[in-house]
Amino acid sequence: MHIDYIKLINFRNYGMLDMEFSKNFNILYGDNAQGKTNILESIFICASGRSHRTSRDMELIKMGEDSYYIRLDVEKESGKKEIEVSYKQEEKKRVRINGVQEPKIGSLMGNLNTVMFSPEDLMIIKQGPSERRRFIDITISQLRPSYFFDLQQYNKVLVQRNTLLKSMQNNRRLVDTLDVWNRNLAGVGARIVKVRNEFIEKLSEYSEKSHRKLTNGEEKLTIKYSPSIKADSLNDVQNVEESFIKLMEISVKKEMEKCTTLYGPQRDDYDICLDGLSLKMFGSQGQQRTAVLSVKLAEIEIMKEDTGEAPVLLLDDVMSELDQNRQEYLINNLKSVQTFITCTDKDFFSKKSGKELSFYHVVSGCVLKE
Amino acid sequence: MTYYAAPVARLVEEFEKLPGIGHKTAQRLAFHILNLPEEKVESLAGAIREAKLKIKYCSVCSNLTDVDPCSICRGGTRDRSVICVVEDPKDVVAMEKTREFKGLYHVLHGAISPMEGIGPEDIKIKELLARISGENVREVILATNPNIEGEATAMYISKLIRPLGVKTTRIAHGIPVGGNLEYADEVTLAKALEGRREI
Repeated sequence: MHIDYIKLINFRNYGMLDMEFSKNFNILYGDNAQGKTNILESIFICASGRSHRTSRDMELIKMGEDSYYIRLDVEKESGKKEIEVSYKQEEKKRVRINGVQEPKIGSLMGNLNTVMFSPEDLMIIKQGPSERRRFIDITISQLRPSYFFDLQQYNKVLVQRNTLLKSMQNNRRLVDTLDVWNRNLAGVGARIVKVRNEFIEKLSEYSEKSHRKLTNGEEKLTIKYSPSIKADSLNDVQNVEESFIKLMEISVKKEMEKCTTLYGPQRDDYDICLDGLSLKMFGSQGQQRTAVLSVKLAEIEIMKEDTGEAPVLLLDDVMSELDQNRQEYLINNLKSVQTFITCTDKDFFSKKSGKELSFYHVVSGCVLKE
Repeated sequence: MTYYAAPVARLVEEFEKLPGIGHKTAQRLAFHILNLPEEKVESLAGAIREAKLKIKYCSVCSNLTDVDPCSICRGGTRDRSVICVVEDPKDVVAMEKTREFKGLYHVLHGAISPMEGIGPEDIKIKELLARISGENVREVILATNPNIEGEATAMYISKLIRPLGVKTTRIAHGIPVGGNLEYADEVTLAKALEGRREI
């Protein structure tokens, strides 16, 4: 799939943008703070319903205005999709697809798939487990709506169970009902574990491949799931469920002391390793960055396989951080993927200019096609 | 700053406390009532008071009723060996509209929810167990809502009933009748697939 056309009104620093884009490489270059990333952000919003930088829509409105409007025309194998997202101060965000108003923001999902790679993505490696869980949860949810629903259900049950563990302090008789919440939590939790396990296996396989290519076969990248619930077979929902319930039963005392649920998908993590060593501990800045890129490329492959179409790739200011070989590899291997790249210096690209590259100069809220 | 005379303001305020009523609707209702002839207003006020005073819980099934036991519990044509357990009196109305269910009901008046501080003792579970061991019950149908709290309540009750040796069933989740598969949301569809059966 690719984006043909973008229109922005009063979005960030754009008063009005009206622009067609190429289905190959779109290179947005310009000085800092001119509005390059804002274009990627508008695309990301149309794909996922929210910004990758802020959760407040207010911040997305141009100074002195009271609403913003985004329109993207997406060309897919199944036909054209016209996606519109608009927001007016103190009102709800509105979504229209092919001119029809949709009741939920969620209906955006599945119309446009994107993979975003920005400097903040290094958090997948550097930060704690919750960032890592967030990354796979967002990706899996795009592909499987039922996973998104299970996650929501799980969190609701978890809150109920944690509250119960607290109230059991004062009312011992409530211990009777704990078993019900254990079973509920384990049922949903086991499904989450299964999907995560399958996804991480796949992600590891594909990441290893792309990483081997990016590094000329020098490094072996692996991703290993370390679930909070151990079971003989993580793909066997019943088996995981039973282990989960058993674990809760034997740790009830400890859980009551701490007033919280100590095991389950909310404590999951995964390790990203290079040649068997944890990247977080032993990787250089450059290695970490390349590894994240490999994971993102794997994400593209998985999406392609799942939906039958390549997603749109958004690369926010990451080219300058990669060495020549890796940059070239990227350009050569993303030919079938529409890519939006922001950078401050176009010189690198102009050296190998082909007809696949289109350049756009971004100057304080104006975009000029070259 | 007051826009209304005090009695009007109070009326609007009272309406606003009702479920599903916002400020605009409350205001519209209040002005409508002020425009009604006095006897209509008396009749409305009387209806509210009478409903509140005369309605109590049925001593058998805990449904709302003006006679005790309620008309369903004393009905001669009902199958007394089947009890359908629901969360709310409104659910009884919904089930009755099907005209398919000929058994008796039991209204829990809520579902187990630690977050709202509702435990098993705060809903009518004790009463249900007493009924099951006292009367000649063959089957208990758990028709609590298909959400987390309803599911937990159903599970809890089934656990308590099991030692009594009474058949316990849970209503199915699935696709609405007369609907199109393409319009069903993915989760419902997945549930329906899970609960499929041979024909």
